[in-house]
Amino acid sequence: MSIENKVFSGDTLKVGYRFQRHWDNSMAYAFFCAELGAGLYFVSMLLGSMIGMIAGLVVVSTGKPYFHLAHMGVPGKSWRAMLRPDRSWISRGLWALAGMVAFSVLYLLCLAFGEQFGIRPDSALLWVLQILSGAFTLAVMVYQGFAMSHSSAIAIWSSAIMPMASLLYSLVVGVAVVRVLLPAPQAAALTGSLELLLLGLAVMHLMLLHSGWHGSPGARTSIELLLQTLYAKWFWGAVVAAGIVLPALLLWFAPSSAAVTVIVAVGILAGFMAWRILIFKIGVYEPIMSMNPFRSANT
Amino acid sequence: MARMGMVFDLKACIGCNACVVACKQENSLPDGVFFTKTLSEEYGVFPLAKRVYIPTICNHCEDAPCEKVCPSGATHTREDGIVMVDDDKCIGCNSCAVACPYDQRTQMDAEKFLKGLYGTGEITPFEEQGYGRYTPGTVTKCDFCSQRVDVGLDPACVVTCPTNARIFGDLDDPQSAPSKMIRERHGRQPLPEKNTKPKVYYVN
Ligand code: SF4
Ligand code: SF4
Repeated sequence: MSIENKVFSGDTLKVGYRFQRHWDNSMAYAFFCAELGAGLYFVSMLLGSMIGMIAGLVVVSTGKPYFHLAHMGVPGKSWRAMLRPDRSWISRGLWALAGMVAFSVLYLLCLAFGEQFGIRPDSALLWVLQILSGAFTLAVMVYQGFAMSHSSAIAIWSSAIMPMASLLYSLVVGVAVVRVLLPAPQAAALTGSLELLLLGLAVMHLMLLHSGWHGSPGARTSIELLLQTLYAKWFWGAVVAAGIVLPALLLWFAPSSAAVTVIVAVGILAGFMAWRILIFKIGVYEPIMSMNPFRSANT
Repeated sequence: MARMGMVFDLKACIGCNACVVACKQENSLPDGVFFTKTLSEEYGVFPLAKRVYIPTICNHCEDAPCEKVCPSGATHTREDGIVMVDDDKCIGCNSCAVACPYDQRTQMDAEKFLKGLYGTGEITPFEEQGYGRYTPGTVTKCDFCSQRVDVGLDPACVVTCPTNARIFGDLDDPQSAPSKMIRERHGRQPLPEKNTKPKVYYVN
């Protein structure tokens, strides 16, 4: 059964698949900013790049709240989203975000001005702050994937691949962007890690396509939307070609230069942005039930 | 304690949409917002073509995913099993909307209230008195007409249905009309594989 023969009910009163439309592009941008900023901060912290840490923190603490508030129906009450960390991944994520911003700011302040107040670079306080900011940052890197995978409503999201994708993309964009900010020899030293991460990304996409295609009717429909409709050119062109294949080829074959490093980072960022938008667009709700005795499970 | 639920008799439903209109009126729903919909499905070819009507509503799931994901505590379940949204607490994040497998959540965008029922921007006195109960931006859904249930009445859609296709009552009471119907006519829940334990059943 191909995608043309499936019933998409849209706003009509027919039994059929309905598109996920509640989380729109501003949510996709918020997810993008969180994973980009947290990934950049995390990788920069491991490599000791102050400028990378500051850039990551700025992206997380401005882009993410801005796009979230743009999406929120009642932005004035958005503080309430922190009230149920016992059950909601959105709440947990907000706590993680607050923790990341608080401890990262403290860590950066101590790094920059600590010595004036007697905080030596090898002091226990700095070490504790680094651990705490790193732990909260890691939580920000993955929680959006858990928020998506937690519910069974959108079958393609309901998979352990979502948190994995969040973590992988965070690390990939983090490494790609930090290479632009680092001096050339340090950037070149990260080439191998980025190649490995891109390979991981390719495997993750293959796993998602495979599990969706052979999964429930809703997951299968989402993969068909991705591969057989107007989304296909964005998936192959932006996510795969610009976001994975081109950077990988450049890393392997092109002589390293500042221009190549920038092109690699831009390609990866474009692929990541396209992926974040597409994964929201291909989400579908399955038909509530069918009385049609001729209908197969996949229609 | 009671466990309120509903049964849809698909043999009885004629797709007249009286329930939909009654719901919109009872709940003062603006243009484009429905707490219940009657979906239709056609299959077969002439002369054996058939059309069936499948009413839909919030299923007041016992294991409600919308409640689990709600970060503000706005979505909660009453003691009688009715899943409610507290308008004062809702922040309009739509997490519940993406978590509901039945797509039963609607955001009350501010513009929905400004357009008016006729799309002209004119708000009738009827709309004016009803819209006050909603906060623009929040996400809402059917609450089994809890204000009616509280005083011992059935939901508006149930009393309006001319063919008795909607049967409402306490699912914990084995003698209640919906319990008997589920037992005798092998009621089935929508999308049981989602493990939400809906309190709405369908019989055919
Ligand atoms: S049908 Fe949807 S909105 Fe209603 S209780 Fe179940 S999950 Fe929540
Ligand atoms: S939109 Fe409102 S009811 Fe729904 S999850 Fe967010 S806060 Fe809860």
